[in-house]
Amino acid sequence: MFEQAISAMASVVVDPYLLGLIFATTILGVIIGVLPGLGATTGAALLLPFTLTMDPVHAIAVLATIYVSATFAGSITAILINTPGTSAAAATTFDGYPLAQKGEAGRALGIAVISSTVGGIFSVIILCFAAPLLARVAYEFRSPEYFALTVFGLSMLASISAGGAVKNLIGGIFGVWLSTIGAERVTGIERFMFGNYELYEGLHFVPIFIGLFAISELLVQSKTVNKIINTVTMKAVKLPTLEDYKKIWKTILRSCGIGTFIGVLPAEGATVASMIGYSEARRWSKNKKEFGKGAIEGIAGAEAANNAATGGAMVPTMVLGIPGSGTTAIILVGLMVHGLRPGVYLFTEQVEKVYQIFGSMFVANVMFMLMGLYAAKLFARVSLVPTQILWPIVFALSVIGAYAFQGQLLDVWLALIFGVIGYFARRHGFSVAPIAVGLILGEMVETNLQHSLKMYDGAWWMILAQPLALMFLVFAFLGLCGPMIYSWITKQKD
Amino acid sequence: MGGLSLNIMKNIYLVPLILTIFSLSVIAIALQLDTSPEMIVGESMQARSFPIFLMILKLILIGVMTYQFYKNNPKPVTLEKYHTWGSMFLFLLFYLLTVYTDMFIGIFVVIFLMSILWGERRIWVAFLTATVTPGLVFLLFDYVLKIRFPRGILMNLYYG
Repeated sequence: MFEQAISAMASVVVDPYLLGLIFATTILGVIIGVLPGLGATTGAALLLPFTLTMDPVHAIAVLATIYVSATFAGSITAILINTPGTSAAAATTFDGYPLAQKGEAGRALGIAVISSTVGGIFSVIILCFAAPLLARVAYEFRSPEYFALTVFGLSMLASISAGGAVKNLIGGIFGVWLSTIGAERVTGIERFMFGNYELYEGLHFVPIFIGLFAISELLVQSKTVNKIINTVTMKAVKLPTLEDYKKIWKTILRSCGIGTFIGVLPAEGATVASMIGYSEARRWSKNKKEFGKGAIEGIAGAEAANNAATGGAMVPTMVLGIPGSGTTAIILVGLMVHGLRPGVYLFTEQVEKVYQIFGSMFVANVMFMLMGLYAAKLFARVSLVPTQILWPIVFALSVIGAYAFQGQLLDVWLALIFGVIGYFARRHGFSVAPIAVGLILGEMVETNLQHSLKMYDGAWWMILAQPLALMFLVFAFLGLCGPMIYSWITKQKD
Repeated sequence: MGGLSLNIMKNIYLVPLILTIFSLSVIAIALQLDTSPEMIVGESMQARSFPIFLMILKLILIGVMTYQFYKNNPKPVTLEKYHTWGSMFLFLLFYLLTVYTDMFIGIFVVIFLMSILWGERRIWVAFLTATVTPGLVFLLFDYVLKIRFPRGILMNLYYG
């Protein structure tokens, strides 16, 4: 098994086509990452239709490369123009931009590049070891456990991205409801189709995701038309000095652990990881006063954590079929579209493909490091592409991408409708990621609940008698009610 | 009248109201769904049960959200710029052009008008973007990905 994994990962390096694909996608990912508003999730949603005709490994490698490279690239604009290219780079602006304003933009970028690479590679290594172990545990799962696990995953939506817990849960439930559209799987009864037989098999993820992430972002960006951007000049990216390394190595290691752990948690992602990585860097720092004024530990803490979360988020995605973030939700769809069913099966029957994907992520981390070091200045210029040119192009890619999935115009209309829904949701403080995750988990939660009820002749409480299922449900309860219970206890103590 | 409608749109309780109406509508529709014979469903759920359960859960959460609004009194949302409404109108125009003429005519018109609407003053840049983008995308999808596009004025000329 170990030898098979190593040889599969090594095969990536000797496959010129795959290497070329990763190289090209890394460039694209960095461009997507530096363009404010686009980001890894929107980029992956737009690219998903292009991967349909590819070999499964190549397709997932493309999506995973976009994920890691765009997550890193968000830091370039965060440092140079105080605008995070992706939400995961928001914490990088706190110290990256002040350091750049001091005339040390090259140093700030150098630290961001090295921290991101270490974080990314660390999480891929953890992914290689943790995923098969978790798959072995998941082998014991039956319907009650899967049901409880998906409930846990849905409960974690409370803390996903922006928006309050209640709004996120409402979004998640809406997403789960969307999954009920179409013929019910056991009885074949048509639900919410209104006579539209193209919906018989349910809503397809690809057009919905293009709508929720790309089209809604287009409408959000329409509010930022004519925004003036202040840029900071930079001569070249500088590698951190020995003194810098001494200052940040502990922070990087801590953030690697934090990021990977946060990424593994269902429905958590790089944004949360970078925020926690940053705040922990500040908490443990001897120079707390420097934070917010250009502390290099702040940049390292945020950047190592957000890239470490990318590998971590792939663990529940590939092993349990529960996405760790909006982007992994799209990668999950990519896996399913290409017939790679996430779960134990993937790690027993498709080991080679799995490790080729992991190997691709490893290579992508090395490639974005080289690009970050040698071409960050060039990429930063891409962020100055006028919005009035960029977003109409995104519109064209979105509608054709939605159409290309099945060759149905209905998918184009769905993408546009969900784009408008997503826009209004975001305008009122709802995040669209819970809707996407809910849509993916919806079928899983309903089917496993049905199976569990059949197993126990309708005695639903028997689900609670299964130790693993009970554990997940307790976690879900604590995840939802824990903060309230904690604040109540604190109040009582006061 | 215009002022009144603007005030309604800014009202923070509009969202819970819309979500409540939506949830109740879903429950009402779900109650109209067919039921399966006992021998198929057994001790499991009817097709209507799960969506109804979801909507009840959602109504509870909407109640919590409304209470939070009442307690915290959040700022009303700012109304959209004309760019946003204009972009949505262009989606509608795209639909009409695609259905009655051709998808690529729709894309060309929308890209061109969107560029102008979003502030592009150089007409030739907007025209070039509107021409080159669909052209490149068409070549990529048609030649590389072998996608057949929906028939329309242009596609009929191309496919014959």
